[in-house]
Amino acid sequence: MTPQAMLDPTHTLSEDTFYLNMGPQHPSTHGVLRLLLRLSGERILECDPVLGYSHRGQEHIAQNKTYLQFLPYPGRMDYLSALMFNHAHCLAVEKAAGIAVPERAEYIRVICAELNRISSHLLWLGAYLMDLGAFTPFLYCFDDREDIMDLLLPVTGSRLTYCYSRFGGVAKDIDETFVTGLRAFIKKLRGRLKDYDKLVNKNVIFINRTRDVGVISADMARAYGLTGPCLRGSGVAYDVRRAEPYSVYPEFAFEIPVRSGGDCLDRYMVRFLEMEQSLRIIEQALDRLPQGPVAPAKPVRVVKVPAGDYHCVYESARGQVGIYLVSDGGKNPYRMKWRVPSFSNLSVLPKLLVNTLVADTIAILGSVDVVMPEIDR
Amino acid sequence: MSIVDDTLGALGQALGEQAVAAAERPSAGYHLQAQVPAQELEAVAAMLTQKGFFLEFVTAVDRAQDLELVYMFSQWDPACRVKLWLSVPKGQPVPSLARLIPAADWHEREAFDMLGQVFSGHPDPRRILLPEDADFHPLLRDFQAAPGPAEA
Repeated sequence: MTPQAMLDPTHTLSEDTFYLNMGPQHPSTHGVLRLLLRLSGERILECDPVLGYSHRGQEHIAQNKTYLQFLPYPGRMDYLSALMFNHAHCLAVEKAAGIAVPERAEYIRVICAELNRISSHLLWLGAYLMDLGAFTPFLYCFDDREDIMDLLLPVTGSRLTYCYSRFGGVAKDIDETFVTGLRAFIKKLRGRLKDYDKLVNKNVIFINRTRDVGVISADMARAYGLTGPCLRGSGVAYDVRRAEPYSVYPEFAFEIPVRSGGDCLDRYMVRFLEMEQSLRIIEQALDRLPQGPVAPAKPVRVVKVPAGDYHCVYESARGQVGIYLVSDGGKNPYRMKWRVPSFSNLSVLPKLLVNTLVADTIAILGSVDVVMPEIDR
Repeated sequence: MSIVDDTLGALGQALGEQAVAAAERPSAGYHLQAQVPAQELEAVAAMLTQKGFFLEFVTAVDRAQDLELVYMFSQWDPACRVKLWLSVPKGQPVPSLARLIPAADWHEREAFDMLGQVFSGHPDPRRILLPEDADFHPLLRDFQAAPGPAEA
């Protein structure tokens, strides 16, 4: 039977097609995502993702709270990039309200955001390899990730859902212990990345599970609005940190890893190589860390945003975050739309899964790296 | 000619000079904005797609009698972001872009789910984040959330 014949709608009534519910409680959907699959044997004819299981109405909360009250919420969207979402929210509000940020605070924000990017990629790396049947890297990655959390805990006060940036600065200055610990961690992680490279990247089972699987072309990526590693794995060097630099990113030299094949292996490699680039950014930021205050002398409590609309983009671990803020001059946002990268990235899945095997679903979904509470908001 | 000027020219030609404006990019976050009549929407979106733009998001803002629809288009590199917007009376459908731009599919479903905007010709006009049987659109300004257990 040809693939075309399997896709024939009249075929759906035959005896050998059936539906399979993958999720919402499934270990490899990484959160509560339900995929409704129509199968012919092991082959997928159709996929319908069902979203919204962790919808909390974040945008509704935003318009019913003051800017300051909403500060802890963005970290609960993409809980693996909480520092980045927190940073993005502050940048958006600061830009709209014209709040100045001391340079040292911006350096610290970048250091912490890049650490957060590494910890997000490490979790993804471990979990992805475990989805593909390798248990050892998972334990190693969580060990490394634990180091990051130990570093961030005394500074930010939390382990996962950070709320560290404040309007006009950060909550607390970093100290010598943090800097020494971070430098030691950078050295350790460089060694570990070499280990992962040897352990995984040339492993024939891993390569056979991921190479030429779930291929996304650059045109397809554009049509579905993909950003982040999913786009860079398809040969497009688009990174908001380079295309529309924000914060102090223009000060640092770093590369944007790009792979051209568009398959799961390429998306894997892009994220893998990004960790080294984040380490480079952190090192440069530590070397050039300016002295000075990290917050305004008087904490910003009331934020006045002139009436109008503002858009602010940010590169999170998963791609372009966009905050579209509409203000009527009041103390609450009139409307705050969060364009989250996983939402667009996941929307390509139904197209990608047609005519693949069920076992590849896990490889493909994992390679897209979605965080469901981010999509559901 | 820069991509921004080029797009400004093309939008001006399609919609008339007065409908298109350059925005204060550092504060607004987008380069150009254009008010698009509903019947021109598909043509303008097709033109932007042709020029290599991708759709960042579709959303709506509740403006009392009307909904203000916002379509954000963007270029990878060099950066150029275009905001298309239109004001439609509540309850009046606008043409769906989902067949033209696959990214619009889920974003339009979300705009319907959250604000009740109907997109005519959408291939799959279901709710996306809220339960299928929900009978409200929570981002409309007159929506009141039911009190939680702590407040009730």
